[in-house]
Amino acid sequence: MALLLLIPAVAVNLLVFLWPMLNLAALSFRDALPGGGIGQVLSLGTWKDLLTDGYYWSLLLNSVVVSLIITFAALLCGYPIALFVHRASPRWRNLLMVACIAPLLVSAVVRTYGWLVLLGDRGLLPSLLRGLGWARPPRLVFNEVGVVVALTEILMPYMILSLLAGFGRLNPVLEEAASSLGARPFTVFRRIVLPLTVPGILLGCLLAFVLAVSSFITPSLLGGGRVPLLATEIYDQAIVSLNWPVAAALSVIVLAVFGVALTLYGRLSRAEA
Amino acid sequence: MTPTRRRLLAAPLVLPLAAPFIRRAAAARTITVAAYSGIFQENYEPAVVDAFRRAHPDLEVTYYPIANSAQALGLVRAQKAAPQIDVVIMDVSVAKTGTDEDLFEPLPKGSLPVLDELTPKAFIPGVAGPAVLFDNYVLLYSPPQVKPAPTSWKVLWDASYDGKIAVQAAPDIVGIALTLIANKVFGGGDYHQSVAAGIDAIAKMAPHVLTWDPKPDSYTFLIEGTAALGVGWNARGQTYARQSQGKLGVAIPEEGSLFQINTINLVKGSREPDAAKAFISYALGTAAQKAFTERMFYGPVNTKAEISAEALARTAATPERLAKMLDVDWIAVAKMRDSITDQWRRKILRVR
Repeated sequence: MALLLLIPAVAVNLLVFLWPMLNLAALSFRDALPGGGIGQVLSLGTWKDLLTDGYYWSLLLNSVVVSLIITFAALLCGYPIALFVHRASPRWRNLLMVACIAPLLVSAVVRTYGWLVLLGDRGLLPSLLRGLGWARPPRLVFNEVGVVVALTEILMPYMILSLLAGFGRLNPVLEEAASSLGARPFTVFRRIVLPLTVPGILLGCLLAFVLAVSSFITPSLLGGGRVPLLATEIYDQAIVSLNWPVAAALSVIVLAVFGVALTLYGRLSRAEA
Repeated sequence: MTPTRRRLLAAPLVLPLAAPFIRRAAAARTITVAAYSGIFQENYEPAVVDAFRRAHPDLEVTYYPIANSAQALGLVRAQKAAPQIDVVIMDVSVAKTGTDEDLFEPLPKGSLPVLDELTPKAFIPGVAGPAVLFDNYVLLYSPPQVKPAPTSWKVLWDASYDGKIAVQAAPDIVGIALTLIANKVFGGGDYHQSVAAGIDAIAKMAPHVLTWDPKPDSYTFLIEGTAALGVGWNARGQTYARQSQGKLGVAIPEEGSLFQINTINLVKGSREPDAAKAFISYALGTAAQKAFTERMFYGPVNTKAEISAEALARTAATPERLAKMLDVDWIAVAKMRDSITDQWRRKILRVR
């Protein structure tokens, strides 16, 4: 009976995820013809071209590094907030939770445009820097800086929610016990709080990393064409160059990156438990 | 469960899936025309599609907006077994791909009476449908920031506009076209052989470029004042310039420009081929060509269309401008596109 209950979910996944992914994988084993055509014969040509071209390796590396920076920044900004919310009284906790989630009510596109207004050449921050005497402040948009800042903010609600979900083992009594035994606040944090919140940290990092790797709108709007990432390249190959086999192969690579991230998460979670 | 109950339960599930087909079946003579969305649709629908509807009250025309030609090709590919789109307006190089994949019905000269009225340049070897609209590459500028109005492409290399240039990079056709123009302006010779001069020139421009991916487009960046210079297409540029109250200017520089070709194609397997051909004939006819050129400044393909002098002056279809146009074989360029894009990635987009 329990297995029967799984049938709808399995059927939906087979139909809308596994079947399209298999089709996508099959498409990557076709050759791209000049002008956007697709070869009819099965071939390893696309994969060979992809794996022997340094550009695609740098694309993969850049995507992973930028996503890791965003994940770390979201953790750094989200952790103190999550800790504060967790320690708040139940009445305030609900209100603070809503405040943390509220940005999700606004589309990522709108928030990205918001950052464009704040960080753009005539935006608030550059104007402030110019007001402080910096004649030519560094460019904060249309490069990696803009993408990292905006995606960090956009992914923070996910990070905070994941951290809160993983803070279940954090018991204030343990912190009080450590303090009463003479531990300083930083020692309490390092020896008690941090180890007990590792499940939340791992979950938040996994979610933020996966969302960062697959994000397209923000890098597209704020990268200025100078931040080559897997997601933006897939769009270019599929929609602009009409090279569907390469787009399909890159999509499979993104899936593989997610697989590696999930495996790593599983191992670290087991080791931590 | 009895059969009746089963049918009653299944109906709400099946009906939404079947709705488009039911609608098609209900209207006996309905065709779907896929063409560009946005400002193109805002102008093409009233100037051409509505006029066709009035002229053919027995036919129903659905305008299906597409973001770009690649999306249209994807749709036609996906519907190959049961086409839902009858007519597609798309870029010539994408139309060539569709023709090679046997997605379009060939419309050679003589297959429709109106085709005899078209310029010979409207018939592109290897492409099923004829050209319906020409457009040309232009320099966009912000009149408040760029004085006097630029007359040369070389203004893009003027260091005083540092951080004020918005250009769409390759593989977008705008970036590819800039490569060809720069190659010509900086003495690169035949682009079939090499575009190295163009790539080197754009690499020198790269440090001054604000963005290689202006969203939603270069026109908006200039109208907002975020950028002072950009490149784009004449029809959209002229239309936005007219609406911008002096914030956007369009220049066809003295070194010349190049044409981009939009073709009109009959989808193979269309359920209403005669109605689709009637629409294609109308779109290529003198009335539609005149109406749309005067409304959005695309270059006409019908030689008998009597375009007003004012509208013609806003296109590249004047004798002196035609003489300076770079003759581009877009089918050949489509084959070079990957190589050009690769050079952009390695030599231009990495420059900070």
